[in-house]
Amino acid sequence: MKDLMRIKSLISQDIETLLNQQIKKEAHSSSLYLSMSSWCDQNGFDFSADYFAKQSEEERLHQLKLFKYVLDMGGNAISPEVTGIKTEFLGFREVFEDALEAEIAITQSFKNIYARCQKEQDFVTMEFLNWFLKEQREEEYKARRALELFEVIGEEGTGRWEIDKHVNKISYSEQ
Amino acid sequence: MEKACVDINELINVFSNTQGSVYQSDKLNCFYVDFGGKFARYNCISLQKLKKVIEDIDIEALLLNTNRADFELVTFNGCEHIYLLSALEIVAFKDLLQGTFTMFKLNHMVNDCLNRLVY
Repeated sequence: MKDLMRIKSLISQDIETLLNQQIKKEAHSSSLYLSMSSWCDQNGFDFSADYFAKQSEEERLHQLKLFKYVLDMGGNAISPEVTGIKTEFLGFREVFEDALEAEIAITQSFKNIYARCQKEQDFVTMEFLNWFLKEQREEEYKARRALELFEVIGEEGTGRWEIDKHVNKISYSEQ
Repeated sequence: MEKACVDINELINVFSNTQGSVYQSDKLNCFYVDFGGKFARYNCISLQKLKKVIEDIDIEALLLNTNRADFELVTFNGCEHIYLLSALEIVAFKDLLQGTFTMFKLNHMVNDCLNRLVY
């Protein structure tokens, strides 16, 4: 008997479902970062607003990269519905705490997909996911560094203004 | 589509239960679902969609809701077939499609092993 499902698609149904869930998570992250950007802008943290707007754009690109992969492999990529985006934050610090939490959740999610691929011996998707795992190193590093600024600089006096100025300068280098 | 229009001997029986059967045509690269008095042709995508639609039906809610009949109208975009199913038929259809996809998985594993031996 011909393996018609395999002829139609390189990835299994389970992997396709997980990748579609990831597309949704990336879309959620993108919207969340945009919401953070809005909050920062409204509260006078211009550099942080720019930083989160850029992050939002990056998450959107991640979403599209996953979307294209599912389609290229013959799967059904689903444009996600994004709801329940947090719009109110208790303070400047909470924004960055939430950002790091979101990145950790994304990393965990990629690890789960990778583990599933390993189980199925889907080496093609594993190779594709390597890019994202490397990207998460940078994303988590940046989010963690930003939060550390609150400890290093402190929020008192002009602290928050100083933190805002430094946020945009955070960069990651492997070397 | 009438069953008589298709040469059943050319089809491979993927999975059957007491209520119906799913067949595969290697010649036409498609599937035939024989269920509820209907013999319908599906491609890979539409069969996957059918499975999802059937699995998404909340049978418990269907039975507990007194404002409507215990029947569900099943169809989806791109599908030319419509099923009017009772709760019991939905359970049987779910079982049929789950069994079918399990057989697909099994067939994939067998094909995978054979490919590794040959190539």
